[in-house]
Amino acid sequence: MTGASTPFLRVEGVRKSFFGVTVLHDVSFAVEAGKALGLVGENGSGKSTSMNILGGVIQPEAGSMFLGGEAYAPADPKQAAAAGVAFIHQELNLFHNLTVEENLFVDAFPRRGVLPLIDRRAIRASTEEVLAEVDLQVKPSTLVAKLSQGERQLVEIAKAVSRNARLIIFDEPTTSLTRPEVERLFAIIERLKQRGIAIIYISHALEDVISVCETITVLRDGHLAGTAPKDDLTLQQIIAMMVGRSIDTIYPQRLRSGGGDRIFSVSGLSQPGVAENVSFDIRQGEIVGLSGLMGSGRSELARMIFGLDPFRRGVITINGKPLNDPTPRSAMDAGIAFLTEDRRGEGLLMDFTVSENTVLASLRSVAGALGILDKRAISRVSLDMASAMRLSTDRVDDTQVKHLSGGNQQKVVIGKWLRRQPVLFILDEPTRGIDVGAKQEVYRIINGLVERGSAVLLISSEIEELMGLSDRILALSRGEMVGSFDSKPFDREAIMAAAAGVGKLEAAE
Amino acid sequence: MTAVPPAHIAQSAIPRSGMGRLLKLVLSEYFILVLCLLYVAGIYPFVPEILTWGVWSNILGDMMPLLVVAIGQTFVLIVAGIDLSITAIISMAAVVGASVMTGTGGYLSGSAAAVPIAILVMLLVGVGIGFINGMSIVWLNMPSFIVTLATRMFFAGAAIWFVTFHSTSSSIADLPRSFSNFSTGSFSGIPYTVLVVGMIAVVAHVFLSRTRYGRWIYAVGANPKAARVSGIPVERTIMMAFLISGACASVAAMIYAARMQTGSPIAGENILLDVIGAVVIGGTSLFGGKGKIIWTVFGVLFLVILDTSMKLLGASLFAIYIIKGSVILLAAMMDTLRNRILAER
Amino acid sequence: MALNRRDFTVGALTGLAALSGMTVAVRAQGSKTIAVLFDGLYSEFWVAGIQIIREDLKKRGFEIMEAISDQDDNKQFEQVRAAIARKVDGIIIVQTDSNAVIPAIRAANEADIPMVHFNRPPAPSDAFSVAIQADNQKISRDAVTYSCEVAKASGKKHKAAILIGDLGDPNAIQRRDGFQEAVDQYPDVIEVVAKIPTEWNADTAFAGLTNALQANPDISFLFTSSDFLIPQIQQALKTADKWHPVGNENHVIFTGFDGFPDAYALMKDGYMDACGVQNLFYETELAIQAILDLQEGKKVDKLLLDPGFAITQQNIEEKKEEMWGYVLWKEKNPG
Repeated sequence: MTGASTPFLRVEGVRKSFFGVTVLHDVSFAVEAGKALGLVGENGSGKSTSMNILGGVIQPEAGSMFLGGEAYAPADPKQAAAAGVAFIHQELNLFHNLTVEENLFVDAFPRRGVLPLIDRRAIRASTEEVLAEVDLQVKPSTLVAKLSQGERQLVEIAKAVSRNARLIIFDEPTTSLTRPEVERLFAIIERLKQRGIAIIYISHALEDVISVCETITVLRDGHLAGTAPKDDLTLQQIIAMMVGRSIDTIYPQRLRSGGGDRIFSVSGLSQPGVAENVSFDIRQGEIVGLSGLMGSGRSELARMIFGLDPFRRGVITINGKPLNDPTPRSAMDAGIAFLTEDRRGEGLLMDFTVSENTVLASLRSVAGALGILDKRAISRVSLDMASAMRLSTDRVDDTQVKHLSGGNQQKVVIGKWLRRQPVLFILDEPTRGIDVGAKQEVYRIINGLVERGSAVLLISSEIEELMGLSDRILALSRGEMVGSFDSKPFDREAIMAAAAGVGKLEAAE
Repeated sequence: MTAVPPAHIAQSAIPRSGMGRLLKLVLSEYFILVLCLLYVAGIYPFVPEILTWGVWSNILGDMMPLLVVAIGQTFVLIVAGIDLSITAIISMAAVVGASVMTGTGGYLSGSAAAVPIAILVMLLVGVGIGFINGMSIVWLNMPSFIVTLATRMFFAGAAIWFVTFHSTSSSIADLPRSFSNFSTGSFSGIPYTVLVVGMIAVVAHVFLSRTRYGRWIYAVGANPKAARVSGIPVERTIMMAFLISGACASVAAMIYAARMQTGSPIAGENILLDVIGAVVIGGTSLFGGKGKIIWTVFGVLFLVILDTSMKLLGASLFAIYIIKGSVILLAAMMDTLRNRILAER
Repeated sequence: MALNRRDFTVGALTGLAALSGMTVAVRAQGSKTIAVLFDGLYSEFWVAGIQIIREDLKKRGFEIMEAISDQDDNKQFEQVRAAIARKVDGIIIVQTDSNAVIPAIRAANEADIPMVHFNRPPAPSDAFSVAIQADNQKISRDAVTYSCEVAKASGKKHKAAILIGDLGDPNAIQRRDGFQEAVDQYPDVIEVVAKIPTEWNADTAFAGLTNALQANPDISFLFTSSDFLIPQIQQALKTADKWHPVGNENHVIFTGFDGFPDAYALMKDGYMDACGVQNLFYETELAIQAILDLQEGKKVDKLLLDPGFAITQQNIEEKKEEMWGYVLWKEKNPG
């Protein structure tokens, strides 16, 4: 197709901003046909924006792109697909209720002549062909629902191949795969390269990136932090390029209460495929950060402690008492509060008012005899909550939470739990999807909470947030506790390396 | 009235003119009541009897069994379930209760305890079937539609079968006077049925809007996941709704049996869609999380007025169905329109 | 919300006041209204019944308030109460349940409105109403007796089958008893080998008769407790090669009950030997007369019997005009 010397895809000086905030500053990178480019960077570094531009979802304000030597400026995803650019997303876009062959042809069923009938024989034949291409040994008539995650991904790749894709972009392809599946995926990627297909590989798992790609491009805060052949880079260098800046002052200082009593502990927590022999403890007045990639089991760990997910073995102790077979109710009674990562789906009743949400987890405290609710008390405590949280509204009785901003919604969730004066507050991604100002307020609230003696287990994808708030950081990888980092300043690279599953067990004492 | 969820009644910015008042009335949660009035006004020239005391006392009486079942159904709909078994509960409770107290061959025939025990047994039948429904839904995680469809068929059949052991005819008659008094007697002018169902309605209203159990029901219906995370016992709450529905249906069975002085295995057989229709017309959502007892009262009132006017007209059966269908559709359309206007304001 | 409630009350009262201002009855004045409440129109018998009542009432200048309860006793009770509320002058009812109708009778008694049960009597009670009922036992006995004579004349011994109705229905029991009385008079000629319960259900009847014909292929005498089962009987007999007119040596001596148009057609064509006829015209006459008498304060018996008659191959020409089924049949087959 194209000569090996000139890059197949060239991105030059692309810039993009949203609402006046520039998220992509003159980013350039290139990938040759038959080669793979690794694209790495922290959350918010500009990876997804770049990919959205490549896929035609959004258009850049400046810069140019060339595909196969021709100018490339897709106006929508359809044009991108027509130009031979295919995406393999983390969340696969397959219809589970359809068969493999139907998924491959769902938007382009071949017809039998002029009749509006599907030519099943033609589909069967070409499906078998592409399935052999990606080394997937299933019948074309198999339902996608019956396939494993790895097999589904291969179906997705087969779909790209059947559309004659010339550039395939993998976005976090290994997060939900088992190790053998990962190996198989890498073999397929190798084969795709041999067919002259260009690959862009995006992942947090840096060792995977190193093993798959020839060239690595690092993004940081929307800037190009550097591009180099993989042989010229060490893992540590890549991490340094990714992080490259000091912790901002948005993390408020907190009066150390020092080492309080050990108030909460987990030992030997195990659940096949999710957690393996996880043990840790938290002291009164301490924030323990939990670092890990998506799929490392960090949220699942929180859900197990709170009694939302089952576990097979392990002991949870709070305030010196064991918490056996926890349910949300017994966990709450023991003094645990839980802010879930899914605020809309699990944290709040979106159609209900602020005050209704505020008292939902503590109805008993506002109920009198026979469980009859004291409406005046509800209004009062909700107003108290609103002012303590500096909520944007004080019309707590008639504002539905769906009308609040993300930050204010999160404050309602936190306020709802603070009413219970938790012994341990588990915060799963407390600042996801909220703006910087609101983030800072959430940090302030968390600090206030610990100063009053609560313990906090903080889960976050943002390493900076963890480092800025935590007294101690634990790293979790594939369900295993792979590191514990005690001292400030934290060794950012060591934490990231541990979380990325590099196996650099560096328990700094 | 800050019951959950808040009906966002337009509270501001409406001029105090007559038109404004009218608009406000149409947009309020009393909308169905307004429809009732409009309907009565429209039908009046054809059946002037609709405005007589006799007819209204009939309407009130006819409302009671429907209303008490509809109250139970309201609980179930708010937890995002549906209870199709209510009519079978009515039939089963009616015949089992009748078999206890009937004067001809009843288990406790003639005994002074016959009536109270029969009433207790009827309640037990209702709560028991409600328990079977709730257990299957909560433990086996089955959809309430299919569970209650199955129990409906089972107990509708069982009720007919049950009668064959207790009566040579198709129903169990000869119920004691003290029991049928429940439907004919009154206390200082208010019929017992109205008194009992009215009390149930008030208790249900307070329970739903004022107690924490009521909050649980709304929360579980709106979002069971969020409810669980908030420490609400989701399973127990669903179970509670189905138990309430079963108990309410058995009260309806008492009213029917007392009124007919007969335990009939087909008692209430045809009221299922009337009940669900009335609750939904009132404004309770089929998708859970939204509903009020007062809405259900209005919905039932509307349906019964409709029915009564048709009976007074002496319209033929098919005409009744056609008219009823169109009026309900019209009411639903106006309600949708009203909600859209409310949303835009 | 408090404001709202007040608004509502004000609006409602205004509306009611406006309405009562126009209380000038629009309805036609002077005429009397009779409520006609049927259980359902499940067979031609009931369709014909309600038609004959309707026509008769119209002829006499009554207004009619009609309702069908569709097998719902509570609905029927509410229909009776609605009729009372409309102050009708009489109620003709076919009750859904003989027990559950009693409270309705009491309500009518209290309102002093005469109530007449058409074709089905209520369960015994202290409430007062008049029931019109065919003398089922006598009618079926007469019809079956004719058929037994035919059987005797054939000189052969016959094996007999009877299709029995719902045993919860007194009419069904009386028809069965009438049949039994008749055949008991001819022990040398008739041997009853099959008593087929139908529960008034056509499918049950068909299955039962088919089974009986397989178990006793020599059945040659058949009585059905209702003519509405004729299509199923015809089908079952045809399958067993037993559907032949009088005179054929394989003819099954067939006795019907009710006097449906179908029954007349079969008698005309010679497939049916005799049929017990309920005299619908007479029953209607009895019902309306009872209401008129009651309105005038005359004493009327609680049970008025329609003696009915048996129509047979012998008397068909002289009696057919009294057979409601023939009248309907004639309308459909003019000339």
